[in-house]
Amino acid sequence: MTVSLEKAAPTTPKRRFPLSTFAAKVVMAVTGIVFAAFVFVHMVGNLKVFFGADHFNEYAAWLRDAFTPLLPHEGLLWILRAVLLAALVAHVGCAILVAIRGRRARGPHRRRALPLRTFGTRTMLVTGIVLFLFLVFHLLDLTIGAPPAATDVFEHGDAYANLVASFRRPWAAAVYIAAMLALVLHLVHGLWLSAHDLGVTGKRVRAVWKVLGFAVALVVAVGNTSIPLFILLGVVR
Amino acid sequence: MTFDVASQRSRADEEKVLDALRSIGGDISGIGPSDVPPAQVWDERKLAYRLVSPLNRRTFTVIVVGTGLAGAGCAAALGELGYDVSAFTFHDAPRRAHSVAAQGGINAARGRKIDNDSLARFVKDTVKGGDFRGREADAWRLGEESVRVIDHLDALGAPFAREYGGQLATRSFGGVQVSRTYYTRGQTGQQLQVASSQALLRQVAAGRVTLHTRSEMLDLIVVDGRAQGIVVRDLVTGAITAHTAHAVVLATGGYGNVFFKSTLAKNSNATAAFRAHRRGAYFANPAFIQFHPTALPMSGPWQSKTILMSESLRNDGRIWVPVRAGDTRPPDQIPQDERDYYLERRYPAYGNLAPRDVASRAARTEIVAGRGVGPLRNSVYLDFHDAVARLGAKTIAERYGNLFEMYEDATGENPYEVPMRIAPGAHFAMGGLWSDYDMMTSIPGLFVGGEAGWGYHGANRLGANSLLSACVDGWFTLPYSVPDYLAGLLGSPRLAADDAAALAAVDEVRTTIQALVDIGGTQGPDRFHRRLGELLYDVCGVSRSGQQLTAGIRGIQELRREFTADLRVQGDGESLNQELERAGRVADYLDLAELMCIDALDRDESCGAHFRVEHQTPDGEASRDDEHWMFASAWERTPAGGYVRHQEPLSYVSVPLATRSYK
Amino acid sequence: MKLTLRIWRQASTDSEGAFADYELDEVTPEFSLLEALDKLNDDLVARGRDPIVFDSDCREGICGSCGIAVDGVPHGPKPNTPSCRQHLRSFQDGQTVVLEPFRARSYPVVRDLAVDRSGLDRIITAGGFVSVDAGTAADADAHQFAHQRAEWALDMAACIGCGACVAACPNASVSLFTGAKLLHLATVPTTGQERARRAADMVEASEKEFGPCSVYGECVAVCPAGIPLTAIAGVNRERLRSVRRGRNRDD
Repeated sequence: MTVSLEKAAPTTPKRRFPLSTFAAKVVMAVTGIVFAAFVFVHMVGNLKVFFGADHFNEYAAWLRDAFTPLLPHEGLLWILRAVLLAALVAHVGCAILVAIRGRRARGPHRRRALPLRTFGTRTMLVTGIVLFLFLVFHLLDLTIGAPPAATDVFEHGDAYANLVASFRRPWAAAVYIAAMLALVLHLVHGLWLSAHDLGVTGKRVRAVWKVLGFAVALVVAVGNTSIPLFILLGVVR
Repeated sequence: MTFDVASQRSRADEEKVLDALRSIGGDISGIGPSDVPPAQVWDERKLAYRLVSPLNRRTFTVIVVGTGLAGAGCAAALGELGYDVSAFTFHDAPRRAHSVAAQGGINAARGRKIDNDSLARFVKDTVKGGDFRGREADAWRLGEESVRVIDHLDALGAPFAREYGGQLATRSFGGVQVSRTYYTRGQTGQQLQVASSQALLRQVAAGRVTLHTRSEMLDLIVVDGRAQGIVVRDLVTGAITAHTAHAVVLATGGYGNVFFKSTLAKNSNATAAFRAHRRGAYFANPAFIQFHPTALPMSGPWQSKTILMSESLRNDGRIWVPVRAGDTRPPDQIPQDERDYYLERRYPAYGNLAPRDVASRAARTEIVAGRGVGPLRNSVYLDFHDAVARLGAKTIAERYGNLFEMYEDATGENPYEVPMRIAPGAHFAMGGLWSDYDMMTSIPGLFVGGEAGWGYHGANRLGANSLLSACVDGWFTLPYSVPDYLAGLLGSPRLAADDAAALAAVDEVRTTIQALVDIGGTQGPDRFHRRLGELLYDVCGVSRSGQQLTAGIRGIQELRREFTADLRVQGDGESLNQELERAGRVADYLDLAELMCIDALDRDESCGAHFRVEHQTPDGEASRDDEHWMFASAWERTPAGGYVRHQEPLSYVSVPLATRSYK
Repeated sequence: MKLTLRIWRQASTDSEGAFADYELDEVTPEFSLLEALDKLNDDLVARGRDPIVFDSDCREGICGSCGIAVDGVPHGPKPNTPSCRQHLRSFQDGQTVVLEPFRARSYPVVRDLAVDRSGLDRIITAGGFVSVDAGTAADADAHQFAHQRAEWALDMAACIGCGACVAACPNASVSLFTGAKLLHLATVPTTGQERARRAADMVEASEKEFGPCSVYGECVAVCPAGIPLTAIAGVNRERLRSVRRGRNRDD
């Protein structure tokens, strides 16, 4: 075979979305880390529920008025929302691009006999979709207050009461706990993935990154899961 | 020398056999008239070489066949100089050439350490190691250019082992007493090959080299007495085409696979070189083939090769056989006083580290005497019991872990507990296409490099000199000497690809292939190849006798008759057909094997790896005959299939003749 | 022992392929996988049927020619071991073993179990080399290269180019191969002059034919050269570095 090294690559489609896979992966890593940081801080805020309604509502109110008068009322919140929304669009968009490119590159014969250790990786797309659906539910439930996601007693401004009322519904608590399970899977692999997408080759940095990724995912999940659990158990009321 | 009456009489018989097969030609010269000492020939020659100006270079096309260390280096270097190069390999990628498998290292006469190494010592070791049957001036060139080889491959990214101070590390290797072997763990060949093939691909990217993969050279196009192209079969489509050029370089490796089971890769073959030989290129010293003492023994009919276990194992392993022939007890039940550590006994100075040819021969002696071990009684023990006891299993694992694993993979035996079994395996071809000092064969315009050629290694090659000779030929010799030839062709156009002679050569190849397919017999080519290999191990192996060789020649001729009557080539010639590839190669092996036996029968002396039992000292060492045989045999094949032996007389100026001794 | 081999047969790149079953008798656990195929082919030829085409050369695990997926796993059941060093002792007597070519869209089947892996060479051709002409290199002893770093470079350079990493990857990503080469050449002190350009060009070439990496880690599980997952991080490390350096600077 006289291989011309210039021959058309068999997997390159004629029209290709003008974003390199490299760039897409870096975008996913950066936005993923933004999300990881967000859910961590979010979880820390959530834990204030254990200090009682006043403390929790005070924190919710502070979020709206943070950095005033430098920022307007709810300024920080809207900046965060804008950043998160942009990150979400970029993250999901790149995920779709990468998934399509992966399937196309592999061709019709899928990889078989994948061992269990790849479970987290294999389910990234699934856990991603679960998390997206959960996000919608969560916003309807506790931010927007739209039934049936939200309880009938939802009241803007009373975050504590909304939360407790919502989690008193066992099915809602189950949804939150299930979502946290998906989050653990997604975060553990996602954060490890980000080390590769951001080019972390140092032996010690990689080890620390891996442990930290595990820890963040676990702490976020345990912290968040404890809330519906304790509410269901009646410890927090 | 011990000549008894019987062996003299048998020589007369041998002569009779030989006379029917070959005639004696004349003396040929490899270096040409030169007054300077061998150490200065290269300088003199370089100055005498004609040059091609940079602007004219792209008008010359050079074909390089093979992309191993010699081929990739030569193609890349000529590309860098600005020539139009076409490179061919039967592999799917240039990196796969068998240079990749060399483990130990690459010698270089840099002489940086204070162990008293020097260029002159390198030459002395190489010439002496080759038992005074190589060309002295070539060894000088080899040593001189070795310095740049290390620099160049280091620059290309080959990660040579480094000392803690950051300097290049060296180690010592069989047959020498200094430390001049540069290495990258046990993968030196691979690292040099990867670096060289990357350099080749750099030229492909630059458009100066056209790379043809999965393309096998099947004939040489000789027009007006000059090599002007090759005939190539596209292994995927079966298309047979002519490629023409101003010069052709063959860097197609050695022919050890003629033995079927060897340390070589399965596809390494002699076809390109041998078809050039059929077209008129002389073949030098075909009987000179090195047997590596630490290969895996043959264990069953389906074993595909004798995997090489690194020579380094002999640093800690002790080689022995039972004292009593036919002793079938398992090794751990044979007490110490019933074991013969024969290398330690016969060669107290070097012991288990005796050079390859000596160690192989000693093993063969024990096996033939019935003291071989293993189910087929065809191997000797390489025992690590003492080393494990002395150093601990952990240290042994650190040194040889991967080799032990490979051994266990292949045999299912754990060498930490049961002694390894090893046997001599066909390894490196010192012989090859004859070429003059400028690497040009007896066909003008046909050059040769690497193991496909001859010259440096005489009758026995030193460890770590093969990577070196391939690199030197490819990077630092052919790029000087090929342009000298091209300069004389300035203004003459390249042979047209549709020239009548080229088309005739293509037709001839088609006919040959069709003839093989048309035999329509019952046995695939591998069956013949296996039988040929077994026969050759018996008659033209580690030791040879006139009687065996005579019988061997008859056996090969018989096998060839059977081949031409009963070969089956399954499938057709219009697609990827590995059976067809093998059939063509085996056809060449049959003729080559015959030539090897003729050469071995003809050369009535023992030297290096060529051990004629008729010529040994009373204690069983090789006995050279410098008076009658201090020349290289260069075999010409006549159109009828007969042979003419030409000879290139050898002389030694800087390294005085001596008898090798490792006692 | 006895085995049933279910082998992918495909006459050429453009034809349809399908599995066919072959009985293999009188083999022993010491057989290598490829020797078993040799024996099967001998039987097939003796019976006048086309033998199975597969690539193989050195049979010691260094040339990277061989590559067969065994029961869906590139190279075979023994991890980090090339096809030529897989042995029948990994299988049970009477077992059915599925042999198919390395699968990826960038590896078109040439015939039966042989595939075209020239995509790997196109990545090297894009920039996986050092632009130093023969004879112009400086003295290799004139620069130091620390022992550990040299060993690390060799760890990365150990790749045998078999391409199993691609076939093991559900996304057919070539990151392990590309990353190993980039890290090897980035570590060696003499090869850093074109580092940024090399990374940009090689990564671009990789993406043309191969898929994105999702760090399944399957490549690492099959790699006969033991290239670690770190090599994958090397792809983006070098590529990000080239972004920082910009197009108009050397190194």
